[in-house]
Amino acid sequence: MNRKHFITSASVLLTSAALPLKTEGNEIETASVFPAYLKKGDTIGITAPAGYITLEEIQPAIKLMETWGFKIKVGDTIGKKDFTFGGSDEERLNDFQHLLDDRFTKAIMCARGGYGAVRIIDKLNWAKFRTKPKWIIGFSDITVFHSHLHKNFRIASIHAKMCNSFPVDWNLAEPIQVETIESIQKALSGEKMEYSTTSNENNKPGIAAGVLVGGNLKTLESLAGSPSDINTTGKILFVEDTGEYLYSIDRMFWNLKRSGKLSKLKGLIVGGFKIKTEADTEDFGKTLEQIVLEKVINYKYPVCFDFPVGHQKNNFALKCGVKHKLIVNQNECILKEIR
Amino acid sequence: MIKTPPFLSPGDTIGLVCPAGSMPVEKVSECIRVLNEDWGYTTKAGDTIGKQFNYFSGTDEDRLADFQKMLDDDEVKAILCARGGYGLTRIIDKIDFTKFKKNPKWIIGFSDITILHAHIYRNLYISTLHAPMANAFNKGEYKNEFVQSLRNALEGKKLKYQCAPHEFNKKGEGIGELVGGNLSLLVHLTGTDSDMKTKGRILFLEDVGEYLYNIDRMMRQLQRSGKLDKLAGLIIGGFTDCKDTENPFAQTAYEIIRDVIKEYDYPVCFGFPVSHEKENYALKTGVGYKLKVSKSKVILEE
Repeated sequence: MNRKHFITSASVLLTSAALPLKTEGNEIETASVFPAYLKKGDTIGITAPAGYITLEEIQPAIKLMETWGFKIKVGDTIGKKDFTFGGSDEERLNDFQHLLDDRFTKAIMCARGGYGAVRIIDKLNWAKFRTKPKWIIGFSDITVFHSHLHKNFRIASIHAKMCNSFPVDWNLAEPIQVETIESIQKALSGEKMEYSTTSNENNKPGIAAGVLVGGNLKTLESLAGSPSDINTTGKILFVEDTGEYLYSIDRMFWNLKRSGKLSKLKGLIVGGFKIKTEADTEDFGKTLEQIVLEKVINYKYPVCFDFPVGHQKNNFALKCGVKHKLIVNQNECILKEIR
Repeated sequence: MIKTPPFLSPGDTIGLVCPAGSMPVEKVSECIRVLNEDWGYTTKAGDTIGKQFNYFSGTDEDRLADFQKMLDDDEVKAILCARGGYGLTRIIDKIDFTKFKKNPKWIIGFSDITILHAHIYRNLYISTLHAPMANAFNKGEYKNEFVQSLRNALEGKKLKYQCAPHEFNKKGEGIGELVGGNLSLLVHLTGTDSDMKTKGRILFLEDVGEYLYNIDRMMRQLQRSGKLDKLAGLIIGGFTDCKDTENPFAQTAYEIIRDVIKEYDYPVCFGFPVSHEKENYALKTGVGYKLKVSKSKVILEE
């Protein structure tokens, strides 16, 4: 087969993978596109698309990922600082774009979250990335990328800890740190993911299968109405958040509910929520669990709490845009990737 | 054209409720006294005035029932929400507007009450009043021009406001229906049945106590959801008591907003007296206004 012909047939294959499978309303549901899994010797690029971070702070992550057999490419934004940002909008955009387009970079790990991804997301050129997707890794503010990639391209990504969560001394790391950080390696290497957690008495039992989407609740709410707004129909949705008041968490779940994002789920996974309190205000009068359960009282899908995802040590790598099975029963909650 | 509830005549009844946060009776009493003695109205205090249930003025059921009663009471010609707080989003979908739609009455308030303004404008196309609430009447402040502007609005006087220029203002003239309110609540309503349309309208925004980075994020959400590009004009009110993170954001709220809207050529004014502070003129949601921003002044008139 000559090369030209090969390219044509390959592109036909690519296109067919993204063909609509079913249509619901105006939303075209297409199969997920998986970036290639990483092999030893592959390169992971590190960039700071939101908050700033020093080169020193990412050293533990570099060292550990090198022991996994990967090469590390440090982006220009590492060590850059423009007040709260890892460089100006232009610098962060250029660095991310460079890693997106660099054919040697097989995955992009965001060094940290913070705030800033939404300021550059519309200016990124995804053309090259779409023809040759790569894994984008991170959480919190990086939810902007997960949501944008799923909404616009159905390209899978990895919701996981970032460079700022790697312990300085790996030998002194707690078992949960080791396990969660090694889950990033597993996800990148193509291992089928599986998680289990003990049951919370408020869980709603059931079994569901669907594509996993989600991330930071506040960030998801801030994308409502935008071109990165997530479609949750038929999906398993996971949410987590930190530093929010209960009233604000309540308000965000109302936004999900009132914008129709809860009514057609297959399952709901509630991760860690660090709740902000103020000494001189009245009690909200409802727990996190009550806030969530009252919104989903009319739906039959399974709901689990305390899932190990969030701004906490217990934060496993999750593949967004990938089909999973969720099993919630009296003893435990299991989430596993299905192919 | 938008439906306008009848203006009030002396002796008409104003109902007072707390549909969100709670307010002690002693903080509402001056407002009630002024409405009765100075403005010549009759008042009816709802069951939620002076009540408290955790974070709220009552359970969802209590707050809903109280608001619904005022909405359906033929005697009540206007409903003044005594305060905001948090809570309307929990009951908005359960309010029955059938009777209100036939016999509209003025609904008054701001902050959390933005939800009522947005919802009623979007679904019923009836004008409401974004205006000072009970606390603004206290400490003799009921005499100020801002509280008085509510009285003028209720009496049916055409509203015309003028304020000083600001260095970030963008000159021009725009005509359109006036919509807006609290920025946090407007973005919170995105994608819901209460979501406000802004195309061809004059949009006004205010907020209090928000982190600067979050103001940036909210402005970008408005922008990315298409709510900023086709305005007839933009009015930026107070963004007071802003908070900052450990690493400073390095821009003021007004600088953030100026940068987000720099590509648009409609008139924009900053520092308009609509805010969580004393400076808070009564504005009729949905009514046609003209915004004129010139070098020397800003005029907003019906």
